[in-house]
Amino acid sequence: MFEFTVAGHVIPLFLLVLTGFTVGVVGGFIGVGGGYMVTPALIVFGFPGYMASGTDACHIAGKAVISSIRHRQLGNIDWTIALAMVGGTMLGVELGVRLLVYTKNIGLSGVVLLAASVAVMLGLFIYTQVETQRSHRKLEADRKAGKEIGREVKVSTIPLYFQRIPIMPIIKARKARLVISMWVIVIVGVLTGVLAGFLGVGGGFIRVPALVYVVGTTSHLAVGTDLVEIVVSSGYGALRQSMEGNVDFMAVFFMIIGAMLGAQFGSIATSFVRGPAIRYILSYSLILATVGAMMRLVYVLTGGTQEWLAFVAVVFTLGEMVFLCLFICSLVWFAVRHKHGRAVPEWVPPLVVTT
Amino acid sequence: MRWFIHNMFGYWVFLLVISCGLSALTYIYFLQDLMK
Repeated sequence: MFEFTVAGHVIPLFLLVLTGFTVGVVGGFIGVGGGYMVTPALIVFGFPGYMASGTDACHIAGKAVISSIRHRQLGNIDWTIALAMVGGTMLGVELGVRLLVYTKNIGLSGVVLLAASVAVMLGLFIYTQVETQRSHRKLEADRKAGKEIGREVKVSTIPLYFQRIPIMPIIKARKARLVISMWVIVIVGVLTGVLAGFLGVGGGFIRVPALVYVVGTTSHLAVGTDLVEIVVSSGYGALRQSMEGNVDFMAVFFMIIGAMLGAQFGSIATSFVRGPAIRYILSYSLILATVGAMMRLVYVLTGGTQEWLAFVAVVFTLGEMVFLCLFICSLVWFAVRHKHGRAVPEWVPPLVVTT
Repeated sequence: MRWFIHNMFGYWVFLLVISCGLSALTYIYFLQDLMK
């Protein structure tokens, strides 16, 4: 009664709802679609690869709509930046896909492409983690000195260089409170789109750091604005995938049931924390995705003979989603406890908002 | 145990172990047959 059949495989319903919920929480909090977690998880559940990819694209589109609505209510979307970026992103994704086809035609192996994705995620993880730890220490020092601390603290000075580029038209992003050349935003959209199209991902984990460290938005605004991009790009992807027959709409329905609750909670959770907390969770998601991808790569390279490797890769793929969801839920719990004057771990107070 | 709560990296390890444990149990009880 609580299972149904997808492409010849019996799938437990509660796993689909739970997957939708956990990835909804993570996606609403850090502004990613979560395809790099959900597609491997659906394959573990027994979905054929093409069906996992298509079903995931549809689920991401629906989840991104829910998260975007909530982030709009929280004031976390800058429509000027979102609209300036959308065209560049769509063009970039198309270029990235064509680049992928070209590299496949010239015989570049899949291992090299996987190595490229690992290198990108690892590089983003290292920079985000180092910058966020420095921001965390600055927050802690300011808090102990009794200074008033805002919702966002960044130590990176890279955005200042890009904001000084004088190429017209210069636009005023009112919500983000910055003045920047429109071409910077468009080119960021194109470059992140190329990476996303080439690596076969939605690109949220590339665009959110790009918005924070290149354009110079706050982490909260980057999350909300990126989710608008995901609505557009994954909506188009969902349409194309359903036209190819790669979508099981019953599975999408049950995942969206979980996402309805999860995406709302993840989006609201951003209002309990400061910017560095969002960037910490983003960096953890990057390193866990990298490790999971490397495990699957090792399993493939050993010819699929090491069964324990398959088990470890599966457990890690599922565990990654649960870990991120639990971390976000615990941050909210600690924030509520700290607000009421109860004991919390020593690293928590600079990361949470109490007003 | 205190290190696993009051140190951020320790808390990270603590949650990861719990998450992977829950996932391993889910795999063994619900998914292993699906993958055969």
